[in-house]
Amino acid sequence: MAPDQTGTATLTEDQVLARIRATLAEQKVPGAESASLDATWSELDVDSLDLVELVKTLEDEFGVTIHDEELKPIASVGDAVTLVLRLDVERASA
Amino acid sequence: MSREVVITGRGVVAPVGEGPEAFFDALTSRRSGIADGVGACDEFDSERWMTPKEARRTDRYAQLAIAAAGQAAEEAGLPDGIEPERLGVVMGTGMGGLSTLERECRNWLEGGDRAVSPHTVPMMMPNAAAGLIAMRLDAHGPGFQIGSACATGAHAIGEAARMIERGAADVVVAGGAEAALTGLCIAAFRSMGALSREGVSRPFDARRDGFVIGEGAGAVVLEAAEHAQARGADVRGRVAGYGASNDAFHITQPDADGRGAAQAMRAAIADAGATPAEVGYVNAHGTSTPFNDRIETAAVHTVFDGDAPPVSSTKSAMGHLLGGAGAVEAVATLGALEHGVLPPTLNYEEPDPECDLDYVPDGPREAGGLQLALSNSFGFGGQNACLALSAP
Repeated sequence: MAPDQTGTATLTEDQVLARIRATLAEQKVPGAESASLDATWSELDVDSLDLVELVKTLEDEFGVTIHDEELKPIASVGDAVTLVLRLDVERASA
Repeated sequence: MSREVVITGRGVVAPVGEGPEAFFDALTSRRSGIADGVGACDEFDSERWMTPKEARRTDRYAQLAIAAAGQAAEEAGLPDGIEPERLGVVMGTGMGGLSTLERECRNWLEGGDRAVSPHTVPMMMPNAAAGLIAMRLDAHGPGFQIGSACATGAHAIGEAARMIERGAADVVVAGGAEAALTGLCIAAFRSMGALSREGVSRPFDARRDGFVIGEGAGAVVLEAAEHAQARGADVRGRVAGYGASNDAFHITQPDADGRGAAQAMRAAIADAGATPAEVGYVNAHGTSTPFNDRIETAAVHTVFDGDAPPVSSTKSAMGHLLGGAGAVEAVATLGALEHGVLPPTLNYEEPDPECDLDYVPDGPREAGGLQLALSNSFGFGGQNACLALSAP
């Protein structure tokens, strides 16, 4: 995805949430399709290896780079959505 | 032996059937699990044993191991009432998570480092099954896997029995598993000339031309006799003795005069405190390769000195399960002891002058009063294991 020259967001919350749900579904995480923004990794039984897979998918899909230290505080679906949206805006403003 | 080791649970996933009863019934009904030149566990449904998410992250060899160990644990009533620190898991595989390795190699060649799954290492590592089984059973005792190619399953059971004898654990889930029906593995065995060109497993027959590759897993719950008695567990058989040896001859060919194989059988019989005359049946390694069957026959002659008991190869019905073979065949041997029936060698029609034992070609055969039987397993690398199993 080409960076947005205007410096505004190129992604929506719905887009990112849908991709996260689809990836969790590919990982056969129970309840993935209806996972809410509040759902935590621990509630979804998503471990560090699942998370690595998810991050890689989001990076490839949305053209963002998620660093390890940014990943540490990410404990829920909503946290991940927020992070991707922030990185999208930062990239667009760069 | 310092402590007596009994068997309180059995599990098997094999091309001829799942579960010790259905499996033995198939063997003694002369059914074959070989189709299109391989012995596949087509009926196996991983989701009977794990969630879809777990199955996705578990190589097929470990899935088969989990199922066999799960059956054995159910039969033995594990892990209820077992002290976790005294419960061990010793499994084995000859090849490890080959299908995972092949898939990820392809991903890597096509997409570079980034295309490699983070699940690759935990799926392909050869000790994954023991780890996953221990997690399920809350088994905090000794846990590891053994690798001795086609002797793996028998070594795992034998070494686990030793752990119980010397008091390192009271209960150990032991066995072996393999799921190597992959393109690379089949090509590799074919390229060394080990596989039957005809795709027929006919151990000891003059026309035998190699083994048929199969997949599957076997497991047993081994337990100190006094521990089983104290908790009122049903005893399905005993590990009366175990013998192991190394040919130290050639990386794939058996020692020409069967010295290593004979040494393992003699050691197992001596470990059982028995004499060769007390052995009523031998479940042969019997791979259907020209070398093995001739040399194993010679080794049996050496050990039994003209008075060999009936010998059959259940690989004739399911192919060679490699690292799973020894454990699956131990379960077959336990079936023979329990039912007093010897499973046949299928496809044996043309005698080979160099293979002149009674291979039970007309079986199943009644063997009432069968008390002691051997299960032979000989691996590439020259590594041999023999289990002496006895009736409860």
